[in-house]
Amino acid sequence: MRAGIGLAASYPFRLWTRLTVRQRLGMIVIPASVVAALITVLVIVLAGPPFLDFLNANLPLVRFAVAATAILMLTIPTAFVLIYVELKVIARMNLRVGPNRVGPWGMAMSVIHGLKVLSKEDFTPTGTDVTVFTLAPVVTYMASVMTLLVIPFAPGLVGQDLNIGLLYFFAMGGLTVLGLLMAGWSSFNKYSLLGGLRSAAQIISYEIPLTLSVVGVIILASTKTAETLSLNHIVLVQSGSMLDWFVFKQPLAFLIFFIAATAEANRTPFDMTEADSEIVAGFATEYSGMRFGFFFFAEYVNVFIVSALAATIFFGGWTAPFDWPWSYNLNWLHPGSLGLLWIGIVPTVLLFGSFFFAFFVRIFGGRAWGVWESMGLGLILLLVALGGLVGLAGFIAFDWVQGLTWFMVKTYFFVIVFVWMRATLPRVRVDQLMGFAWKWLLPASLLNLFVTATAVVLLNR
Amino acid sequence: MDLTLKTRLEARLGDYLRGPVYQRRDETEIRIEPDSVPDVLRILRDARDLRFEILADLAGVDTGDVMQVVYHLWSPMTTDWLRIIADGIPRDDPRAPSATFLWTGAEWLEREAYDMFGIVFEGNRDLRRIFMPPDYTSFPLRKDFLLPDDAARSTGAGVRQVELGVRPTGANGDAADDIRRAPAS
Amino acid sequence: MPPRQPAPRKSKARTTAATDAADAGGRQYASTDDPRIMLDRQVGNLYEPIPPYPPRTEREGEFYTLGDGEMFLNLGPHHPATHGVLRLVLKLSGEQVVDVDPVLGYLHRGVEKICENSDYYHVLDQVDPLEYLSSLFQEWAAVLSFEKLVDVQVPRRAEYIRVLSGELLRIASHTLYMGFLALDLGGLAPILYSFIERDEIVEMLAALTGARMLFNYYRIGGVNGDLNHEFMSRLGDWMSRAAGQTEANATLLNENEIFVRRTRGVGVLDRATALQFGVTGGNLRASGVPFDVRRAHPYSIYPELEFNVPTRDEGDSLARYLIRVDEIRESIKIIDQCLNNMPDGPVMAKLPRLIRPRPGRSWGAVEGPRGMMGVYSISDGSDQPFRFRIHDPSFVNLQTVPALLPGNLLADTMAIVASLDPVLGGIDK
Repeated sequence: MRAGIGLAASYPFRLWTRLTVRQRLGMIVIPASVVAALITVLVIVLAGPPFLDFLNANLPLVRFAVAATAILMLTIPTAFVLIYVELKVIARMNLRVGPNRVGPWGMAMSVIHGLKVLSKEDFTPTGTDVTVFTLAPVVTYMASVMTLLVIPFAPGLVGQDLNIGLLYFFAMGGLTVLGLLMAGWSSFNKYSLLGGLRSAAQIISYEIPLTLSVVGVIILASTKTAETLSLNHIVLVQSGSMLDWFVFKQPLAFLIFFIAATAEANRTPFDMTEADSEIVAGFATEYSGMRFGFFFFAEYVNVFIVSALAATIFFGGWTAPFDWPWSYNLNWLHPGSLGLLWIGIVPTVLLFGSFFFAFFVRIFGGRAWGVWESMGLGLILLLVALGGLVGLAGFIAFDWVQGLTWFMVKTYFFVIVFVWMRATLPRVRVDQLMGFAWKWLLPASLLNLFVTATAVVLLNR
Repeated sequence: MDLTLKTRLEARLGDYLRGPVYQRRDETEIRIEPDSVPDVLRILRDARDLRFEILADLAGVDTGDVMQVVYHLWSPMTTDWLRIIADGIPRDDPRAPSATFLWTGAEWLEREAYDMFGIVFEGNRDLRRIFMPPDYTSFPLRKDFLLPDDAARSTGAGVRQVELGVRPTGANGDAADDIRRAPAS
Repeated sequence: MPPRQPAPRKSKARTTAATDAADAGGRQYASTDDPRIMLDRQVGNLYEPIPPYPPRTEREGEFYTLGDGEMFLNLGPHHPATHGVLRLVLKLSGEQVVDVDPVLGYLHRGVEKICENSDYYHVLDQVDPLEYLSSLFQEWAAVLSFEKLVDVQVPRRAEYIRVLSGELLRIASHTLYMGFLALDLGGLAPILYSFIERDEIVEMLAALTGARMLFNYYRIGGVNGDLNHEFMSRLGDWMSRAAGQTEANATLLNENEIFVRRTRGVGVLDRATALQFGVTGGNLRASGVPFDVRRAHPYSIYPELEFNVPTRDEGDSLARYLIRVDEIRESIKIIDQCLNNMPDGPVMAKLPRLIRPRPGRSWGAVEGPRGMMGVYSISDGSDQPFRFRIHDPSFVNLQTVPALLPGNLLADTMAIVASLDPVLGGIDK
């Protein structure tokens, strides 16, 4: 090569051969990204306005896509939080310490769990129906996630305010059984099959009292609103004070709902499908890795959903338990009003705020903390402080922050109740479970429905 | 030591006894022929002045010359344990009648004795190995089954493990035949 | 198992491929041209618990023949609820158990053979790990049998210490039983409370004997050391709240409606059947037979102690559980009496270093937490027992499982097996 090409021409090649692998990558990536950025800008300039117009024209579609994405993103952290809460609460109830190694008070435990599950071998046993086996966790997970779409987290903060929201919820919730059944059937394992069939029998049985118990609420809501199946409207009907909550008007319905919902979410004492002392892990016996992780997440998302629905239908959803008088308009805090200034403000605050806190860490922490450690801790402290401030400001200023807070408080109350039940109660037997559903819950829910309907007809006459 | 038990036993089982009733501490011991086991056990359980209703144990014993089946019984009528030794079972073809017709619980105990000694209990409906794997051919608690590291005890014999080529005739099928095709000797 | 009907595939491509393979000297599949079907069959056989040899007995052949709509379920040897390595081959119709064939031997170590090749002193080491939850009682049975052979008088203080430590261990074992029964029924909490309780006792015994599980404490002619200060202070500390703690632990389950419904009327073992099976211990007393070796054939100092033998008539899992709770209460009473009446004196009789008993036979039986623990030993005059037979209560108790399970649901399997309290170390010897 050297012989053929002159010195000047061979220069870039010699440079190239002297570069390390990382430098070569840089030589490729940096120009490529510059070109890509230029092209992006070009595309935005040329095709941006018509695209924005298109989005503007189809605002409901955009809203739906954004909401669906947001909810999908929401599920994983929710599951993480719930797993941590369950580990910790059950541990305390069992006189144990619980996770306390990873992160402060073991808070990163469920993240580590997630990473562990993610890094495990994704194993498909011999004899499985591979397609169904692969799809089952997806179906289960997606069925759980899709129910979240109609839950009103706060005023205006709802994925899609369907006018058949409640019906949609139960339809999607019932879809979970399909995933479990698929998993049980395709695993080529008798324990899985038993688990899958148990889940089918159980969810089909409990779906009926679950739905019937809510019908009383719908009838009551019909006296005040037209869109009785919309969860948002059911919440609005309950706004006012605590006494407007449906739990006080429909206590029996709430009881039935809660029991049936426990069965629906496959939680103790109705965790027949994965009864570990009987059928090993039920439908999930043959699953490993992230496929198992999806089942795992789906279970906890289910707990969250069921709690959220209980809070929404019977406990006033995002409405405050009493009239909340302190609400100020902090318009100047609105992100839009500060505009581009945020781009400058945020890094500056982060940098100097971290220094500020790190300074105190160095002073009070002594030499135990290195420079970078104290900087990191300073950043965390700053973020906590900022988060608190922003949260407080948001709580005062925005009704959706208030609503979200009340909603989460109520939901997590029920989550804790579920965890509590898991720590305390043994498992019921299959025939007892079914007998309870058909002999007690179903007649009770029918009775509740009958009484409610009669009362509404008589009182409204 | 319950002396009245001795007279009761002698009165009830006079013909069946082989040798005197032996009593020591809180134990009374009788020896019988293996063939008379069903009769003796039935009398012991059902006789109104004996009522040995709990089968405390059933064990096989290999004395080196003969096999024995040893029953321990308990009765509310006496303060003694009763030991019945069905003595003189030949080692080449050990067989004894089963006690399962009286005590269902003897089934597994007899399976264990069969597994360990090769004693065939006639009348046991499920006489197969219970601890050792189905393709196992030896009977480990026999006295000619020496542990591989048992050189100290069998002086001069060295390491010797007896694998039984032949089973007692009529021992209902060991799986060994079908799995391993044990060499006939 | 999913029903897998081999659908005869007639797709042309596959047929050609199979034929080609056969032509090229590849494997010729017998009855079909679809290799996948063959694979399915092999896999099916692989996962069935049917043994790969013809049935050895009629009963085995009858069991391993499937009726209409039945399937086998291989429960164990690695299953969360089988208390070790018990393997139950269940024949199920739906979730209903039709028949069951317990398969033992996964933990068989040939302890009897090992004991026949050990000194009399070393036998006591070997019997410890049998029922690892109550290892003192195996030692006790062996020691009782050997002491009859050797004709040695055990000092009274040693007898008191034996009863004291034995009853403590009985409480530990029963407490754990309560927890495991709840765990097998899906309750998470009781097992941890049980372990806390048991750990206190086990630590206490560790202070006395030097070990937490395999104590090796009883000796022929006494025990291996007198009571010490740490043991006594721990014991006094524990005794002050033992009764209350027991009641608290029992309340966790006794008053739990789900637990009671899961166990009441499940696995009923009536009096006659229990006697027929030779069941002993709490399982027999739950069926209404007041057979407790401590009273039925007293040993040690039990004739001098005041305690009741609790019995129940129901014979179901709940009765078996409640019997255990009652026995804990009685054991606390016994410990109290032992502490009050503890005599002074030596704890070991004088015996030679090497024991050579006269030829003879002896049977020693004690009441362990799971029932009568018996040892039949024959001496031929040498320093090793000629025959050392261990009668393990769990082995006999487990035998009732094929009688109790059929007709019950799969979930009841756990309620029944756990309530019988098997420990596989003892069963498999």
